[in-house]
Amino acid sequence: MAFITVKNLRKVYKLGKEKVYALKQIDLEIKRGEICCILGTSGSGKSTLLNMLAGLEKPTRGDIFINGVNIAQLSESKLARFRQENTGFIFQSYNLIGQFNALENVGMPLMFKGYPKAKRDKLAAKMLKLVGLGKRLRHRPNQMSGGQQQRVGIARAFVAKPKVVFADEPTGNLDTKTTDEVMRLMVRMCRKYNITLIIVTHDLEIAAYADRIVHIIDGEITSIEENTSIYSPEEDEENTSISEVKST
Amino acid sequence: MKIYDMISICFRNLWRRKGRTMLTVIGVVIGSCAVIVMISLGLGMSQAMDNMLASWGDLTSVTIYGGSRGGMFDEGSSSSKTTEKPRLDDSALEIFKAMEDVEDIVPKMELSSEMVVTTSGRNDRYLLSYTTIVGIDFTQFDKLGYEAEQGILPDENNKKDSIVFGLEVPYSFTDTKKHGEAAYARKTELPDGTVTPPFIDPIADDFKIAIVNTKKTNEDGSHPVGGKGYEYTLHGTSVLKQDTMWETPYSMFIDIELAKDIMEAYNKLNNVKNAKAPEYTQVKLLCKDINSVDAVQKAVTDLGYNATSMAQVRQQMQGELGVIQLVLGGLAAISLLVAAISITNTMIMSIYERTKEIGIMKVLGCYIGNIRLMFLMEAGMIGLLGGIIGTVISYGISIIMNSFAGSAFSEALGIYTEGDAGQVSIIPLWLVLLALVFSTIIGLISGYYPANRAVKISALEAIRNE
Repeated sequence: MAFITVKNLRKVYKLGKEKVYALKQIDLEIKRGEICCILGTSGSGKSTLLNMLAGLEKPTRGDIFINGVNIAQLSESKLARFRQENTGFIFQSYNLIGQFNALENVGMPLMFKGYPKAKRDKLAAKMLKLVGLGKRLRHRPNQMSGGQQQRVGIARAFVAKPKVVFADEPTGNLDTKTTDEVMRLMVRMCRKYNITLIIVTHDLEIAAYADRIVHIIDGEITSIEENTSIYSPEEDEENTSISEVKST
Repeated sequence: MKIYDMISICFRNLWRRKGRTMLTVIGVVIGSCAVIVMISLGLGMSQAMDNMLASWGDLTSVTIYGGSRGGMFDEGSSSSKTTEKPRLDDSALEIFKAMEDVEDIVPKMELSSEMVVTTSGRNDRYLLSYTTIVGIDFTQFDKLGYEAEQGILPDENNKKDSIVFGLEVPYSFTDTKKHGEAAYARKTELPDGTVTPPFIDPIADDFKIAIVNTKKTNEDGSHPVGGKGYEYTLHGTSVLKQDTMWETPYSMFIDIELAKDIMEAYNKLNNVKNAKAPEYTQVKLLCKDINSVDAVQKAVTDLGYNATSMAQVRQQMQGELGVIQLVLGGLAAISLLVAAISITNTMIMSIYERTKEIGIMKVLGCYIGNIRLMFLMEAGMIGLLGGIIGTVISYGISIIMNSFAGSAFSEALGIYTEGDAGQVSIIPLWLVLLALVFSTIIGLISGYYPANRAVKISALEAIRNE
């Protein structure tokens, strides 16, 4: 069985009397460790699909199995536990907590898991070094550039070693050069820890980093194409962090 | 999530909005101050009341009034009109003595001023007028609370022929050899601080009590005295201090056995038919402790006697005091209620501001229980902080009130204490603890609704907020 199985999924929003089909009929399987890109234009329903995969929204119909658990059936508190143990999340607008420094932001998922401060600071520092921010542990989000902030976001998503990481337009607010760096970073992390990555985007250049590209139009999957990622970490030196990026 | 982390986040959030937090805390400070000060005033009043009652009389005694005389706090004896009242005589004393919770009995017997004539000096020159003669047990001065102002109180050895005066009684002797103003002794203070002496010396002279013969009548309408065999010569021993209940100043005291003898002799001289055993005018039962007073009073009342106790008076006064305290407390509670509403308001504001943050935390897998707890902690912390500061300020207010406004306050509140004005405001440790716990609970209650709102924020809505 695939790591993620989506069956018969439908999401209907009611706007007054009118029914809006955000997702009409989705069936999808994603393997463990796969980098999957959900590609679609604005309003295609790609974000809705991601939200449901992450358990942030309940489907109108259908099932979503992740690692054998039907998350469409989980209660709010069980979903919280499921997210804590299995998922990471990367946002378009980074969504870091402004009053926390980089170390604390990255340590947050560990804090929710109940790790003591010393332990999570250690893990978070290691993660930040890995994303190239080893010298900015005590910086607050507003003291960092967009690219740096997103790398903190990536460190936060990967720090708890989740089984799957969801990324919603992760490079939407970044320039081309930084986009490339951030994408490489995400791919490298996934490969390193064998983590499934699901990226939602409208950008074909982003899709080029994926193993598989799912095209979605008007709430339906139109095609799924196998792809060879344009970036393979083996090309770089093994396990080296990318160099400190000067603020952009 | 570790409790330590939640507390840390809670403090960071409070600190992040210092100004707003402080304003909300000030609200709680005012509220808790009001409550603490009001309660402390109530406690002060209650203590002043107990002091006052204690100075009036023993809180552990029950007083029984005999005959037709009612007590000071008699509740009215309408029923006694139809049913014969039991006699308050020696046999009654035996019954009281047998009662379980009664430790001692202090009887009093009053002689009507028409029954005897008291004189002093050669040829009965000085005549005592308008003075009640009270028979008391001369071994019970301590139980009665009587102390000597001059002279030495009589004891077992000389009780039969001793006499004790109330403070003002020596001045009630008139000089029968003089007329008009000169016949009366006036107690006036002289410039050197001493007072004018009365005609007689109450601690050295002898006094004669003669029983009146009502069968004969003098020309002027008065009755002659009985003469030989109906006269008693007593030695003045002492003058009593002013007592707080004003029982003694206008009375003259003889031993109760002598009082009974006089009563019997009077009956004999005046041929009173079917004379019964002499009745006591008042009997005070000393109970084991304050809690047994009610039972004793009830037992005595059930026998048909009029009985009152300070405990009963205390209950009534406490009832009234309770109403005052309730009103004061109610006023204070209003300010605490306002504070509670402001906590709720602050928390709702804070949740609006942090909608996104809450959403992110939810997406990252924070339990909703933890989110609720974090906000409850924040609200509780505002309450606790307010309580702590409020307690400190209340102590200050209390000290100021006690030192500056002591007597003025107690007078304004209608409570008079002898001598030392006492404390107007009392803050015991339990009140401090109560205030802290209470203000924290107020905070938690005020935070409950906002915390639930925070929990209900949809993770999706929250992160969509750009």
